[in-house]
Amino acid sequence: MNKVSLSAQHLVKHYGGVVALADGNLEVNAGEVMTLVGANGSGKSTLGKIVTGVVAPDGGRLLLNDREVVFRSPQAARALGIVAVYQELSLVPRMTIAENIWLGHERQGAGAILRDTEMRKKTQELLALFEGTTHNHLDPDLPVASLSPGEKQIVEILKALSWQPSILFLDEATASLDSRQVNRLFELIHEWKRQGMAIVFISHRLDEIYRIADRVTVLRNGRTVAIAPINELSQPELINLMIEGGIAARTNGKQPGPTQTEEILRVDALSTTTLRGVSFVLRRGELVGLGGLQGQGQTELLLALFGAIPYTGRIFLHGQPITLHRPQEAMRHQIAYVPGERNTAGLLPIQSILDNLLLPSWKQYGFPLRIRQAQEDATRVTNVLKLVMAGLDAPVNTLSGGNAQKVVLGKWLLRRPKILLLDDPTKGVDVGTKSEFYKILSELRAEGTSILFYSTDDEELLGLCDRVLVLHDGKITADLSGERLVHSELVAASMGSSA
Amino acid sequence: MKAALNSGLLRRLGRQYFLFSLLLLILGVIINASLQQNFFKPIALVGLLRTYLPLVLLAAGQTVVIIGGGIDLSVGAIVSMVNVILVTRMGADATQSQVLTALAFGILAGTLAGALNGACIAFLRFQPLVTTFATTSIFAGIAVWILPRPGGSVPDFFMQPYRSAPLGVTFPLWVILGVALIWWYLRSTRFGRYLYAAGGDAYAAYMSAVPVEWIKFFSYVISGLMAALSGVLLTMSIGTGSALIGLDMTMPSIVSVVLGGTALSGGAGGVIGTILGVFILAIIRNIISFANVPSWWQTLVNGLVVMLILAGPGLWALIRGRREA
Repeated sequence: MNKVSLSAQHLVKHYGGVVALADGNLEVNAGEVMTLVGANGSGKSTLGKIVTGVVAPDGGRLLLNDREVVFRSPQAARALGIVAVYQELSLVPRMTIAENIWLGHERQGAGAILRDTEMRKKTQELLALFEGTTHNHLDPDLPVASLSPGEKQIVEILKALSWQPSILFLDEATASLDSRQVNRLFELIHEWKRQGMAIVFISHRLDEIYRIADRVTVLRNGRTVAIAPINELSQPELINLMIEGGIAARTNGKQPGPTQTEEILRVDALSTTTLRGVSFVLRRGELVGLGGLQGQGQTELLLALFGAIPYTGRIFLHGQPITLHRPQEAMRHQIAYVPGERNTAGLLPIQSILDNLLLPSWKQYGFPLRIRQAQEDATRVTNVLKLVMAGLDAPVNTLSGGNAQKVVLGKWLLRRPKILLLDDPTKGVDVGTKSEFYKILSELRAEGTSILFYSTDDEELLGLCDRVLVLHDGKITADLSGERLVHSELVAASMGSSA
Repeated sequence: MKAALNSGLLRRLGRQYFLFSLLLLILGVIINASLQQNFFKPIALVGLLRTYLPLVLLAAGQTVVIIGGGIDLSVGAIVSMVNVILVTRMGADATQSQVLTALAFGILAGTLAGALNGACIAFLRFQPLVTTFATTSIFAGIAVWILPRPGGSVPDFFMQPYRSAPLGVTFPLWVILGVALIWWYLRSTRFGRYLYAAGGDAYAAYMSAVPVEWIKFFSYVISGLMAALSGVLLTMSIGTGSALIGLDMTMPSIVSVVLGGTALSGGAGGVIGTILGVFILAIIRNIISFANVPSWWQTLVNGLVVMLILAGPGLWALIRGRREA
């Protein structure tokens, strides 16, 4: 691998009248990990897209090995060795792992017939890099649709690697990986660095940034405000750079939880295809976290409690046994579920914010619908959520990721749920929005809402929850609270050690 | 342990997307043979093959479009158009070179028709359903303009190959074998891989450097070409022309694709299943006509049977899901 360096200088990008990037700078050299940080709307993704050839800049220039380059497409960037790992966007679900990895650069043999055996063998070699970190053994012939989000992300990383990049862009590549998979990825990154690869690493997880980065580029409001070695910046300093005004408002809102309030929900020996006898109690105003590695049954637990998947076992609400066969029943019991994959499960992207917020609640507004009343209620919720939007009539797909996630939460808040089931709601959301989100959660608890909160971010669970139930292989291996609610205990329980 | 065994077995079975269709066809053949004494006699089988051969080609082209994430409602109209072009340019006393020119015109017309569909859908981003519905009127209109009244004829030597049996194997089987081989080749090339990718998830395919627009364009060109070849075979089979002859073939072509296990949502399935699908359709019609169903009910019964089969897998999953819950 040759020594490479990439330098983006004073990049500018407008979308209509909106300035997405005013002065974007980024540089990365062979053998180093550069991280790119910034809040939502800081221009981070625009900068990434320009450098990987997805969008063309309106101004500024790109230097590759000190020579100016212009990319007309992602393929053009890829031809020069710049490859990006996307967030599960470039995989075709119905195709196999091997077909996906080689999609776009298949090996051809005589008569243009594809060399499937050779590609399958190469795929096996690539999969071996993550051997032992996945729940199931990954076979090149498995369809991607059957993989968990973490496994899909691994395939996405291996797909990028199959292009043999000299500069690798990892955009939130760890978002759906569990800690074991992240560790393996970081080991691999160290190896790639040693071989001379240049890596640009984008993540919302500060601890990961401090673990892996050599240097950091900070973006704020479309401008690069700092480029510095990571060890010269403390975490509060870094966050101050990202947040305008510079006040580190990272209060996770952890309050002394309710100790002995009334019991709201009791789950007894709940089993599904993934869960194997889960029992726990949720009290009024309590915020209980669900932790553990990815795909250990956390999402299934939430879905079962929302009546969306079949289960066996007993569920008691206020001491009364209830059955939950379908989401409507759960909603009648004032149980609400906020899905993690907001683009597929939570929102109607081309509908207005108003329509999205009110979708589950129209029943309350009579016939004919009392539109004015509905608008007032929706406005109240958007104020509570501090939603940044052009207006209630704007379609949801005009919102940034963090704001869209707030709409998913907001549509259930209108129904005033007693129990809120959150399925990894802060995945891919920036620090600023996260802390607002946490504030909303603590307000909800103060009003008596009980929350069951699944997160793949360990720090978040530790900082926010009264208790954390750790799942492993469909069972609860630990119920951590008080002094035991620390990272080491959480990791130990995630790995299935119940000590 | 048992679950692991089951899932492994199911996965291997599940990989054969046309397994259900194959079982269905076998079942159909058994029922048909019990109703129709001479079913396994060459005369009956060959008759069936000759009747449905044009539909095999039409449905094969339709399969390519559907895998690529589209649909082509205009294939029947293209068959009509090619049919009337052939008969008007030939006539009963055409020489060999006139026949060849007519064939070239017909096939070119069909391919261009497909290219028009493809260009509108792939490059101008029109909706496939609306576009091909609209072009159906255009192609059918051209056909009526060329040949307002049914009639015309073709020379005997043009029709002769359709009834021949090279090396003792009937002509339709050779054509079907050819279609299957070409499909196998196409599947083993980049085009095949890209077709599944474009139909499975166009955005993901685009992000993987797949030329999605060109793939979609060529899927319609292939469909147009196959419709033209279907029109050629139909003309060889009946020897006369009508501007309405192909219009009733569009829906059967789509139904055959679905009966063959190809999902209308795109990105899955294949032509081998579609060939089975055409013959499932053929057998159903055959059974109905031999089961003494009054002729004025035949269309209705035919529709109900097809609907039941199409709903079958979904109903099965629903019933099983209930029991597990």
